[in-house]
Amino acid sequence: MKTQRLDFAEFYRATKDECLFTVLVSVGDQDAAQDLVAEAFARAWASWRTVSRHPAPVAWVVRTALNANISRWRRRRREVPVPDPGTVADRPARDGEVGRSVDPWIMAALMRLPLRQRQVVALRLFLDLDTGRTATVLGIAPGTVQAHLGRAIAALREDLLPTRQQENPT
Amino acid sequence: MNDDELITVVREQRAKVPMDTPVEQIISRGRVVRARRRIPRLVAALAVVAGAALTVTTLAPADHQPGAWAVARRADGTISVTIRELADAAGLQRALRADGVPTSLTFPGAQNPACGQPQSMQGSPAWAVARQPDGTISVAISEMSDAAGLQRALRADGVPVSVTFSGQPGLSCPAQPAHGQPRDH
Repeated sequence: MKTQRLDFAEFYRATKDECLFTVLVSVGDQDAAQDLVAEAFARAWASWRTVSRHPAPVAWVVRTALNANISRWRRRRREVPVPDPGTVADRPARDGEVGRSVDPWIMAALMRLPLRQRQVVALRLFLDLDTGRTATVLGIAPGTVQAHLGRAIAALREDLLPTRQQENPT
Repeated sequence: MNDDELITVVREQRAKVPMDTPVEQIISRGRVVRARRRIPRLVAALAVVAGAALTVTTLAPADHQPGAWAVARRADGTISVTIRELADAAGLQRALRADGVPTSLTFPGAQNPACGQPQSMQGSPAWAVARQPDGTISVAISEMSDAAGLQRALRADGVPVSVTFSGQPGLSCPAQPAHGQPRDH
């Protein structure tokens, strides 16, 4: 039992931030994302014997959180509002974390992507899942993952590069 | 900035939104989740045990003698009854009723050495059939003979059965044959 706890604690410490950001990009609400990820990690702990043997435990957590978000949406029977990306970006950094607040331009550009593209970007870029695993998590074909990623990067480039070049005219 | 640099910049954002829920709180919640999961599993396990016990009780009653008889529903809807021994009349009656045949079955020869048979019943010395006011068909079989006659009598009463006597004749009742006149089936 103690070994199980240590393994889980290490897993949690190593992956919690990227899981949170992945879910945040999908659901668009930091408080909701935090609740969903916490619940997903709790379920992972409850089934740790199974989850720890999963080929990508972090994908299991994110999938569980996204499923929980769908269940939450169904319970409410209405669209989950997507907040202004600035509400994430404007949150103050914690003590000793100067310069660690999220870039509002990047967050806004991410939130402007269609949901599926956001999910692909989150799984491929933030969780570092390969194309096959991303396809499995989202229940789509690997080719579709690549297509979404290509379109998402093109949209981000178009959205961000002019702004950043204006910021840094070199 | 090329695509790789763009991806790097975007990736850097993931470390800037920290998940600050303590692991102890996650584990505490996990214990609640695990406890909730165990309740339905326990209920399901109890249901399986209860179902198994009920099945055993239903299919294998205490007085059932395996192999004494067999009941099967055929593709054409008729009920095939094979009697090898005049035993476990109650079990055979339950099996027939489960297949929609409203019978009241007795083996007088097996239960009563005197082989008594109700006066109201009609049939051969080996068996007798009577329809009761409540619609059930009373069948008394004293001897395993004349299966074809019994089958005709039952079908005449609207019971779509095929009757076969196999194996040893079993108990006979030569001392007191059935009362009444055989039906003209």
